[in-house]
Amino acid sequence: MNSEGRLLELEDLRKWFEIRRGFLSSKVNYVKAVDGVTFRLDEGMAMSLVGESGSGKTTLGKTIIRLYEPNGGRIIFQDRDVTHLKANDLKWYRRMTGLVQQDPFGAFASHFTIFRSLEEPLLIHNTVKSKEERAEKVFKALEEVRLTPVEDFAYKYPHMLSGGQLQRVAIARAIILEPRLLVADEPVSMLDASVRIEILTLLRRLQERLRLGVIYITHDLATTRFFSEWALIMYAGHVMEKAFTQEILRNPLHPYTRALLTATPEPNPENRNRFKQVPPGEPPALIDPPKSCRFSPRCPHAFDKCFKEEPPEFEAASGHWVKCWLYERS
Amino acid sequence: MGWLKTGSSKPSAGLKGVLREVLSYKSAIAGIVILLFLIGLSVYTMVTIPLPEAIQAWRSSEAWSRNPRNAQPEWIELFYGRRLPRTIKVSLGETKASEVLREDGTLSVSWVIHFNYDYDDFPSEIIVFFNSSYVEKPVVEIYWIRPDGDEILLKKHSLRRPDDRLYLSNDLGLELKLERLFESKIGKKPNFTVTVEKGLFSEYSQDPRVLKGVYGMRLEATLSKNDVLNAELVVYGTVHGLAGTDHLRRPLIIGLLWGAPIAMSFGLTTALLTTSLGLIIGTISGWYGGKIDSVIQRIVEINAVLPFLPILILLTTFYRIDLFIILLSVVVLSIFSLGIKGTRILVMQIKSYPYIEAAQAYGASNMRLILFYVIPKILPPVVPGMISSVPGFVFLEAGLSYLGLGDPFLPTWGKIISDAQTNGAFYKGMYYWVLEPAFMLILTAIAFALIGMALERIVNPKLKEL
Repeated sequence: MNSEGRLLELEDLRKWFEIRRGFLSSKVNYVKAVDGVTFRLDEGMAMSLVGESGSGKTTLGKTIIRLYEPNGGRIIFQDRDVTHLKANDLKWYRRMTGLVQQDPFGAFASHFTIFRSLEEPLLIHNTVKSKEERAEKVFKALEEVRLTPVEDFAYKYPHMLSGGQLQRVAIARAIILEPRLLVADEPVSMLDASVRIEILTLLRRLQERLRLGVIYITHDLATTRFFSEWALIMYAGHVMEKAFTQEILRNPLHPYTRALLTATPEPNPENRNRFKQVPPGEPPALIDPPKSCRFSPRCPHAFDKCFKEEPPEFEAASGHWVKCWLYERS
Repeated sequence: MGWLKTGSSKPSAGLKGVLREVLSYKSAIAGIVILLFLIGLSVYTMVTIPLPEAIQAWRSSEAWSRNPRNAQPEWIELFYGRRLPRTIKVSLGETKASEVLREDGTLSVSWVIHFNYDYDDFPSEIIVFFNSSYVEKPVVEIYWIRPDGDEILLKKHSLRRPDDRLYLSNDLGLELKLERLFESKIGKKPNFTVTVEKGLFSEYSQDPRVLKGVYGMRLEATLSKNDVLNAELVVYGTVHGLAGTDHLRRPLIIGLLWGAPIAMSFGLTTALLTTSLGLIIGTISGWYGGKIDSVIQRIVEINAVLPFLPILILLTTFYRIDLFIILLSVVVLSIFSLGIKGTRILVMQIKSYPYIEAAQAYGASNMRLILFYVIPKILPPVVPGMISSVPGFVFLEAGLSYLGLGDPFLPTWGKIISDAQTNGAFYKGMYYWVLEPAFMLILTAIAFALIGMALERIVNPKLKEL
């Protein structure tokens, strides 16, 4: 299959949303939600996609699993170009990818039992023919996410379960087709703090055991340390920095990453006497973002070049890429 | 709108749960009881009077010749407090004839028939039906025997044809004769117009009073050897059956009974078809959006300003009309109703729910999403609407029939009302003629309205407070 254990590669991936205005929709504008993202994810690795609201991280996640059709660039999955797959090929790709959403309460059709919700993917892909085998698979998936005894949960309706339990079911649904890639879109941000760590631990264990590639979308840098090998910092549709998670947390290079890290609360009593410097302003509107570096209007270290030209990605250290003119080597 | 919530709302626990909840409303129980009654009535009707038979009977005048004209229903007595006359039929065949053989080979035959009359009112009409075969037209002498013993020669009648009829009520000569008889018996002119019925059935008194007792009629005729003569005396009452009769002597009960299955099947089929087709069109419009949506929405808007009834009247005027074509035109004219806009909005709302996105992520097709994920969600508000729309269609059919645009063959409630109208039922005091079909129409409407309202309350709990 794939020589170097490569699972997913993005090449200059773009997702622009069309906005039509004027008489008979004559004027076309684009919201450049994801604008040229390149990265590689290996088999069995987890990657965090970190960014604030509106940075395009959710759009990127949905484009990766082809809920959105990309406008440009390529998605290579297991050495196969999946960028514009259609019909049966797309159905295959759907089986190879899974999605865990942010809102566990909205993730299930209220008129389906948990059993039916889990059975649906099996019915659609027809991977398991007999009814008994399907039931076996459903129960196994529920065991996998530790909702035991399974019979207690299988025949309940979604409204009878708690948020944490529902998120476990959502994970079970995402892995029931034995995918290779899982996109988890802020899977714990709507849950109580007390169950967040349980869900994350569960996801991490499953990821390691099933050798899943996971893209973990979050706005919370603190959980990335615990969860992923790789981290990718997004800002206004661009990837600002990507490196090993440990590396980014220990040695953030991009001014934006630094700002994010400063904003992360730390349980240190000293903090009450310290003033945290946060860049002023807001992220740019994605309809008409700055032509140069998208962080330049807010950047405390910006110089002339930053306002003129968009920086490429510089490899500041081995495996540590930064999209910032500060790290240009002449 | 509780049913729209994705997670926290209570899902319907299947058909059983819905039924149990429906039965917690007394009004719904009443509605169901009425509906079951109407369904039972329809089944009974369809089994006992098959449709072809009913249509044929409804359209023939001969079948009802022994029924009184414009008779009220029998139970109307309860309001008058008097026994109103039923129709009495006596046939010669039931009695022995006395025969005398004459020298010339002819037979002189005489029959006497008797019947008891103890009603509190005069009959409405008297007819003698003959049924005979002969070589030479026989002459029949008819005598009337009153309970007090008097015998009156009614008529010397020469048969005009084998199945001749003698309309005694219309006989002006007999009327004059009876008036003179009354004058001579009581010594002066009576206070009332002596019609044939009153003359034959009243006491000899100043005011008309029914003389109760056993009446008789004697027929005398001279027949040749192989001649056969039979006759039937029909004394028409003023009440008939459960529902009375109309101007063509037809028992209204047939129209009323057959009206039930026709009205209900028309109303239910139209409601079901328009609602489900509208649901599908609205869902497609909301789900796919874009050009399909625009086209559907423009059609809906154009359809909304088209005058529904005039178009229907036009259609039914120009084309051969039967119930099926009316049904089709009503369905075609109402599938692009404004209800589609509501469905469309609901679908657009549901389309944005995370569970739809999740289903797309695991590969559910558009078809599957619409059928299993979207429609079950929008069905709850649609079903009570459908049930509530049934009376509208039932009334529409009745209205068209009333306007003379309905199916010309089927006996329907609207047609009965239409007949009543053209024959001036209200002016002549024949209220039953209008009120009976109106009652059936209202009963049907109430049944569906009660059930629909209860369902609506279950689906939309906000209405419970009203």
